[in-house]
Amino acid sequence: MIAMTTEVQTRFAYALLDPLAGTPDNLATASGQGPGRRFEVYRNNVRSGLTGALASRFPAAVRITGEAFFRAMALEYALKHPPTSPLLLGYGSDFPDFVETFEPAAGLPYLADVLRVDGMRSHAYHAADHGVLLPAELATIPAEEVGSLKFALHPSLGVLRSRFPALTIWAMNSGEKALALITDWQGEDVLVIRPHLDLRVLALPPGGAVFLQVLGAGGTLAEAAEAAFADHPDFNLERNLGGALMNGVFAGLNKGA
Amino acid sequence: MIRNRLPACAGLGFKPEHFDAIRQGGKTPGFFEVHAENYMGDGGMPHAMLGHLRQDHALSIHGVGLSIGGMRDLDRAHLDRLKRLCDRYEPESFSEHLAWSSHDCTFFNDLLPLPYTDETLARVAEHIDAVQTHLGRRLLLENPATYLIFRESTWDETDFLAEIVRRTGCGLLLDVNNVFVACANHGMDPRAYLEAFPLHAVGEIHLGGHSEREDEDGSQILIDSHDAPVIDPVWALYAETIERIGPVATLIEWDNDVPDWPVLLEEALKADRLLARALPAAAE
Amino acid sequence: MDRHATTALAAALAAAVSLGSSLSASAADAPKEKCYGIALKGQNDCAAGPGTTCAGTSKIDYQTNAWKLVPAGTCETMMTPAGHGSLKQGPAPA
Repeated sequence: MIAMTTEVQTRFAYALLDPLAGTPDNLATASGQGPGRRFEVYRNNVRSGLTGALASRFPAAVRITGEAFFRAMALEYALKHPPTSPLLLGYGSDFPDFVETFEPAAGLPYLADVLRVDGMRSHAYHAADHGVLLPAELATIPAEEVGSLKFALHPSLGVLRSRFPALTIWAMNSGEKALALITDWQGEDVLVIRPHLDLRVLALPPGGAVFLQVLGAGGTLAEAAEAAFADHPDFNLERNLGGALMNGVFAGLNKGA
Repeated sequence: MIRNRLPACAGLGFKPEHFDAIRQGGKTPGFFEVHAENYMGDGGMPHAMLGHLRQDHALSIHGVGLSIGGMRDLDRAHLDRLKRLCDRYEPESFSEHLAWSSHDCTFFNDLLPLPYTDETLARVAEHIDAVQTHLGRRLLLENPATYLIFRESTWDETDFLAEIVRRTGCGLLLDVNNVFVACANHGMDPRAYLEAFPLHAVGEIHLGGHSEREDEDGSQILIDSHDAPVIDPVWALYAETIERIGPVATLIEWDNDVPDWPVLLEEALKADRLLARALPAAAE
Repeated sequence: MDRHATTALAAALAAAVSLGSSLSASAADAPKEKCYGIALKGQNDCAAGPGTTCAGTSKIDYQTNAWKLVPAGTCETMMTPAGHGSLKQGPAPA
């Protein structure tokens, strides 16, 4: 018995998402006219709900491409990758990857990285609450133990290495910077962090992204510093550690790990 | 089983953009309602704001993603998340919809309609039992705004709801705007619908705005869009309803094109005035 | 690790600690500092991301074919190495 209505829902569900599917034939209206326009209401609700969800998670990209292009692109993604969970907070986490290979957006090669910045922001916004490592807690570490220090990174942390000036473009499309010509077109590394409730988007200094990535993977301070130097000769350990401490990048020390 | 105990006054859906206005003092509604799924992140501002509001307001948690009307099994992980949320905030009420929104691992982010048959009735009742047992709370089930009917249906919606109440002991969330919208869309008289509705089980009322779209023959389809003030005919139906059943917690839903806080608050005050008038009738 | 590296790391840590402590008493409320540049915020209500809905919509989501559209937002005014805006893509060749 259950199977019969399950079949009804399966047909309804497929017809919602399949652009070529017609209106299921078990639907009707009280007035006797065709149910097509009524079914379109549901179809439209679903489409507009899903593309709207993506638009609200990736607002900078909406500004960059314009609403019409963004919605059309989001719809192609949503029909191929509808949400699998009723928690929409994280919906579209792989939307930037989709956009990277989406041919109509090929003229905006930086777009995926700008999407990633907003993706990291919404992750940070909802990330678990956690205290931050205070500088004073490091003051008493004996010199010979400093190199083997390991840090637990804050749950809100996001790091992006971009070949493009992704941070500048994001800032210009998020009300942070005036829209202007970007004459210095260079890669930027981006940090997103939320110490307590304070959501911050920052530029990482040279080598900073690798430094945090190695620490995040469980590497020691010495290993992270070495990798960061190898990545960029201008890496400055003091500056990177100080910046990380002041922005709450470290949740604590990983002792005995 | 924890029962619904929202105060019998007007409430508003909480929107983060109103948080500062709410905190500045001044009048606030008798309760706030939030969508459960928007507070299922791990931490951060949403929980900080909700925790703050909770300190001095009654709270209604309104789920939109449990898919109670789905024929597939309930999502146990989601049920666990609801349990954690209810345990954390101890809301005065928990409600969900007579609708489905997930099927075969896809979440549609919309409240989809179901045929009303013996089979779906049994399934919905089973789901409500499971929810009430898991949460240790009595659930309020909301009547849907619908745009279509199913050829399979053998029950009227009101009889279907009454039977659900009888089998599960759940309460009902009567959305008067949904009644108006669905009745208009299905050529029914909303007063006849309310006459047949199991009003004794109503623990909360929803009011909201709707909009219109053109059907194939040029007639209007009403869309439950929550993007406008409540219209007068819906206020009238509401006033008649509370005159019959007495004052009951009433939420104004305005979720799209959300207005400034004072506009929203004024809608709540309007409901409060009608609730105050319904008081003598209920005392009789 | 050699002795020299150990000393350098320890010195850097000490400097970072004093930098961290002197510029801000608490890591929680340092809106701006020099190491990492100025902290940007963006619009915070946007960071909340998608919400759920129990409402329908009357706004029609036009089913445009994305392959026939050209981005037409601020990308038109931003300078890239290729010149203004995007490398314009026309409709995909049939």
